[in-house]
Amino acid sequence: MEARVVNKGQLPELLDKLAKDYDLIAPVQEETVVLFRKISGGKDAFLEYTNSDVSPKGCFLPQNEKTFNYTYTGDSIEINKPEGAQKAVLFGARPCDIKAITTLDPVFEGEKFGDEYYSSKRENTVIIGLSCSKVLSTCFCYAFEGGPCDGTGSDLLFTEIGDKYYVEVNTEKGKALADAYSQIFSSQGADQLAKDKEELAKKLAGEFVRKVDLTGVKELLDNNFELAFWSGDEQKKCIGCGTCTYVCPTCHCFDIFDYPTGDFDGARLRCWDSCMYPEYTLMAGGHNPRPSRKERVRNRFMHKLKYHLDRYNMVGCVGCGRCVRKCPVNIDITKIINDLKEVAQNA
Amino acid sequence: MMDVIQQLREQAKKLLEEKKVDLVIGFGQGTELARTTPVFIDSPEGVSKLTWGPFCANNLAKYLTDYKNAPGNIAVVVKGCDSRSVIRLLDDNQISRDKVVVIGVPCPGQLEWQKVAAEVKPGAVLKETADNGESFSVKTDAGDYSFNKKDYMLHRCLVCENPNPVVADITIGKELPVKTYEERFAEVSELEQMNTEDKNAYWDKQFSRCLRCYACRNVCSVCTCQICVFDQMLPMWVSKRTNLSENTMFHITRAFHVAGRCVDCGECDRVCPMDIPLRKLNQKIHKDLGDLFDSPTPGSKPGIPSALGEFSPGDPEEFM
Repeated sequence: MEARVVNKGQLPELLDKLAKDYDLIAPVQEETVVLFRKISGGKDAFLEYTNSDVSPKGCFLPQNEKTFNYTYTGDSIEINKPEGAQKAVLFGARPCDIKAITTLDPVFEGEKFGDEYYSSKRENTVIIGLSCSKVLSTCFCYAFEGGPCDGTGSDLLFTEIGDKYYVEVNTEKGKALADAYSQIFSSQGADQLAKDKEELAKKLAGEFVRKVDLTGVKELLDNNFELAFWSGDEQKKCIGCGTCTYVCPTCHCFDIFDYPTGDFDGARLRCWDSCMYPEYTLMAGGHNPRPSRKERVRNRFMHKLKYHLDRYNMVGCVGCGRCVRKCPVNIDITKIINDLKEVAQNA
Repeated sequence: MMDVIQQLREQAKKLLEEKKVDLVIGFGQGTELARTTPVFIDSPEGVSKLTWGPFCANNLAKYLTDYKNAPGNIAVVVKGCDSRSVIRLLDDNQISRDKVVVIGVPCPGQLEWQKVAAEVKPGAVLKETADNGESFSVKTDAGDYSFNKKDYMLHRCLVCENPNPVVADITIGKELPVKTYEERFAEVSELEQMNTEDKNAYWDKQFSRCLRCYACRNVCSVCTCQICVFDQMLPMWVSKRTNLSENTMFHITRAFHVAGRCVDCGECDRVCPMDIPLRKLNQKIHKDLGDLFDSPTPGSKPGIPSALGEFSPGDPEEFM
């Protein structure tokens, strides 16, 4: 695998150049929260963050997306689709969030149900990851074969080492970008930094405090749709908000509806939806397949720990810990995993 | 606070053993050192789950409406601010008084868990907490910490009006001195000083971040509509689309809908994943209700009807 070195002092210059040549999306700080936004240069980026408040999945699956405009012309309907995605760079995403994007890929890029809106953005975007420099008490990416310095899914992975970034070139797309800015991406000193990176990865791997063990959980869920566990405290305390699903980097449910702008025209939109909401998958006839919190809470965790595995052979959680931090009532997927494991052992 | 925890467990046990209640809703240790989580206890053996301390931010009165049609009575652990919710729910006929046993705990304030977590060694286990007046001491298996209230407490607690529960069938712990705060509406006053454009810009910036996860609405103890207008599909008053216009519509409508009923528990503000200072909206209404109608914070004084839910011939508004 190839590697490069970027001086930290040159990063603003690189981001300025990238913003000129691409739509550059990077972490920014708004008041107290960190989000991914399109930026105009290095001065806007905020890289001293541990984990953004909302994941960058919106780069590929925006919370609001116009799929087409429609106009009724009297005898027919004119449909205007938006143009394909612009060339973009997603800079500074953490390894867990990039891994999360790889779990969305089979959903939107499957042979059977390809999604042009997603694919267009995915194909035109170069993902530049940024290794973590700190592990939070809520982090557990290790449990899903991730890691604070894991490059899975990234085109380039930056790891901060002293006054330099060690840059791993993981794909041809990444290589092309590094080559295009060769005055900033140098090859000198990469060998030593590779060792330093390995050391850092080892050090951070020892800092996780959450013990998460998935042994037996999938098998338990495979054989038991109904478990007394789902009627317990977790669903009783759930207040039914959509926070966990909206901050989650792998949740990808959406709702499609028409948004009229006049009597004869409007747009068809697709917007994030949440399985925690009472109207989620509510049928026109009034039937609700998940009528109470019990079914909704079960659905979320079944999706993370079983359904995504069944469909794509990939876990539906990457251990970013956002839902753990943000849940108003401290519903914690790591506790649920461990509780389910206990249920499995006692069964 | 160990004695409070001990008494809480004893009282809960007694209530369950004597079958005075079928369920006790209280605080249990959460999955982070500085967090608690709601626990639902239906047997005397379960009471060891109950805890108390400076990490009990949630307003558990929220759950009472979930059980209003369930058989049996419910006991709920409340702080002073949460007890205002109980009063409101009773006044709104959402719950019946004889169904609820209120276990009140005088509260010296609640710490912001994220701020505490940033200081404490990750993975440390909580042993004990104590209130030392200006600060809380937090003992863990990885060392002892002290958190001064000024910097680490939830903002709402810094201007707490009711450290002691307004309504309680059982009170656990010593009554605390009640303070009055001249600067209670300091932040609102600051906003009021702004001109219209600046105020608009301020809220536009806040609302544009909103994800519309509805955590603020769902955590609200006085949001008791069975089907919320924002969940309605036909007619669709607001869509799932997030944009400044619909986000603003949501927040302003909600603030007005709870006007006169909002008990200022501050939960909406605490749970917002995007740190939108929602309490300021409600506080503006509280301030105006106080100035215009001499109305106390809803729920803070039992028996006083909601300023906007009562007709009075002496209303200062001329058109009345």
